Amino acid sequence: MLEELNKTREKFSFAAFRNMKSIAKREMRSGLGFTSLWIIGFLAFTLIPMIATLFFSFIDLSITDGIFSTPKFVGFDNYAQLWKDPQAGVNPQFWFGSETPSSLIITIRFALIALPVGIFAPLLLALLMNNKHLKGQFIFRTLFYLPFIVPFIASVFLWGGMLNTETGWINRFLEFAGVPNENLPGWANDVNWVYPTYVIMGIWGIGNAMLIMLAGLQGVPTELYDAAKVDGANTWSTFWNITFPMISPVIFYNLVLNIVGLFQYFLVPLVVNNGTGRPGGATLFYNLYLYKTFFTFQNMSYGSTLAWFLFIVILIVTIALFGTAKYWVYYAGEVRS
Amino acid sequence: MKKYLLVLASLLVIASMMLVACGAPAAEEPAAEEAATEEAAAEEPAASGDKVQVRWFVGLGTGTNPEQVAIQEEVVADFNASQDEIELVLEIVPYDAARDTLSTQIASGAGPDIVGPVGWGGSNDFYGQWLDIAPYIESSGFDTSVFDPALVKFYQTEEGQVGLPFAVFPGAIYFQPAMFDESGLNYPPQVYGEKYVFPDGTEADWNWETVTQVAKLLTVDVNGLNSTEEGFDRTQMVQVGYAPQWQSVQSVGTFYGGAANIFSGTEKGSYESTIPDSWKEGYKWYYDGMYGEQPFIATGPLAGAPEFGNGNIFNAGKAAMGLTQTWYTCCLGDFKNAGLEFQLGIQPIGANGEVAGRVDADTFRILKGTQHPEEAFAVLAYLITTGGDKLLPAYGAMPAIADKTEAFFAVKSADYPFVTEESWNVFVQGLAYPDTPSSEQYQPNSIKANARFATFFDLMNNTEGLDVDAEFAKLVEDLNVIYNE
Repeated sequence: MLEELNKTREKFSFAAFRNMKSIAKREMRSGLGFTSLWIIGFLAFTLIPMIATLFFSFIDLSITDGIFSTPKFVGFDNYAQLWKDPQAGVNPQFWFGSETPSSLIITIRFALIALPVGIFAPLLLALLMNNKHLKGQFIFRTLFYLPFIVPFIASVFLWGGMLNTETGWINRFLEFAGVPNENLPGWANDVNWVYPTYVIMGIWGIGNAMLIMLAGLQGVPTELYDAAKVDGANTWSTFWNITFPMISPVIFYNLVLNIVGLFQYFLVPLVVNNGTGRPGGATLFYNLYLYKTFFTFQNMSYGSTLAWFLFIVILIVTIALFGTAKYWVYYAGEVRS
Repeated sequence: MKKYLLVLASLLVIASMMLVACGAPAAEEPAAEEAATEEAAAEEPAASGDKVQVRWFVGLGTGTNPEQVAIQEEVVADFNASQDEIELVLEIVPYDAARDTLSTQIASGAGPDIVGPVGWGGSNDFYGQWLDIAPYIESSGFDTSVFDPALVKFYQTEEGQVGLPFAVFPGAIYFQPAMFDESGLNYPPQVYGEKYVFPDGTEADWNWETVTQVAKLLTVDVNGLNSTEEGFDRTQMVQVGYAPQWQSVQSVGTFYGGAANIFSGTEKGSYESTIPDSWKEGYKWYYDGMYGEQPFIATGPLAGAPEFGNGNIFNAGKAAMGLTQTWYTCCLGDFKNAGLEFQLGIQPIGANGEVAGRVDADTFRILKGTQHPEEAFAVLAYLITTGGDKLLPAYGAMPAIADKTEAFFAVKSADYPFVTEESWNVFVQGLAYPDTPSSEQYQPNSIKANARFATFFDLMNNTEGLDVDAEFAKLVEDLNVIYNE
């Protein structure tokens, strides 16, 4: 690992650049030229704001003070506040027994429900799309992908209308089907239904993940299946011993994206439940709490502190996930020591 | 590698310096700020050609409806054509995003010059950011005698003279005569002190009890049954009797229980919530109106449904009565286009036995961080005088300059020819029933406190089986913490 890092460092050093042949230099300049817009964007909209928020987390700054006001350093006060904040829920003492769940626990609870669906639903659909017995695969593929190109915010409004407890056609249909009025789901207004409601809304947009899974499935060499058939493997055995290992990098990729996305979950509760945490504080997700602290309550310092904690949590989870990859993700041609 | 990092660090430092150089100075102490801004104004070259650019931010209150935007653009064009020193630039931000957007602009040193129309609620969220315009009133020789002196004083706060009177918005009950006719009911009274007459001839004070009785009779389901009738289907309501149209939870409390100071204390550590019990009773009444046995107010989900106008219930023609202020005349386009008509009735008598009215007051304010205070004041003076002729009717606002009242109602009558003179007069009478202190009064930690109030309102609107007493107690408990943070 260290050796690889050293090689990479040497490759991108200024000395290496000086030793390059002129054609290589020209190519590199072209490459940098083409990527420069992205680099500028990354610096302006990601790296500098990140550094700025790290700085803000050590000062006392309200958004209306302006970022150019004289900073008042408060050391680790904001981090101490984070530790004591029951709403953020960083301190384990706020994880259980509290009447209103903390934002971190809310996020984790929802992730435990949404993550399996976010991984297995596209996988199942992709397996279905890849089945040679399915007629009209192209049509189904298009239909399943189509919702993904609808702007997410529009689809959230759409689902909000369909799941409206008073006028939504889903409840109207359930009523028509004989479900008593008092047993109709409260959807986004019911603490027991709100997470399933969000998951249902999320399923609407799994077309992209399905397509990536499908590409993975279609990349599995057919001779492996032929060999399995010759060996008398059944469907499950073929899936578990051939398909799954071969597409495990794609599953891993989707898993990482899903986990990062779930920690940053924000838009749906903001739009559907007005960002108030309703019902019963169940939808005040960590990222929403962060947003409200930073922008609505204008506390840039504490908002930045919340943001850095979130960044660190995501980083740790992602690193841990990469650590597990060697046990279950298979890369063809990879040599393992 | 070290060299590489050094170059990267240098690039970051240069970028940071460029950002700092581009940014405006932050808000400072008023005296220093005044000197600094004057100096800046003198030194800075004109922002757009030879003209100084003044940015006008709209979004904290009324002014974001398409019809209003068109009028505001017209006023901007008129202003820009009227002189050659200032270029006025209009910035419209949707109401829901306006606070966050303005906060961000101020934080980044790129705040606008003028903000408005904005009421006390919106202004309190940016307490400490407003410019004391007294020096500019004096230096420009602006004649404040056109206003009632009490109204000028209304805008004197600890921050100084933060505005001048511009618009007042008395409240009234907007009602649909057709729905009353269909139900065989008499209309709400149009003169304060008059009683309501039921179909059987009995008379009653126009208080919340009477409003409730009438509203229930006007709440109709898909089968044509009203809320008091056997077999009424609450899941299939096609119209509701009453809607507190675009009112905050503090307004609902004020209308029901009367104006009240909602906190006491003088400094951090001593603040305490003092929401009166009459407001709590009001909230229980409101909740019962949505989720009680005989509903007459739309629940949150119903009010938010497209069929019910996504919250603009009266405009969607789905409410027989809507209690709101004059500014609501801005937003009845769909209503009028559907061929519907409304009239105006008096505000009800509150729990304390007196009319619990509300009067909103909006104006334009200048941000402390402006680079061009004199030019911004020139624009402000134009907007509240000459520009007001077009803006006030568009905002549905009665003019603070008494001489302009007649012209205002002439424009409104042209917009809504079916509204009678007796109805318009309800607004004029309404000025005698302001909420003092305003339901938009200042609270410590204003934004967070208001957000907590909004959460309570949202919870009531959207939760069936809620223990309002318990939630109210939680609200008070939380406010006591928020006020002293």
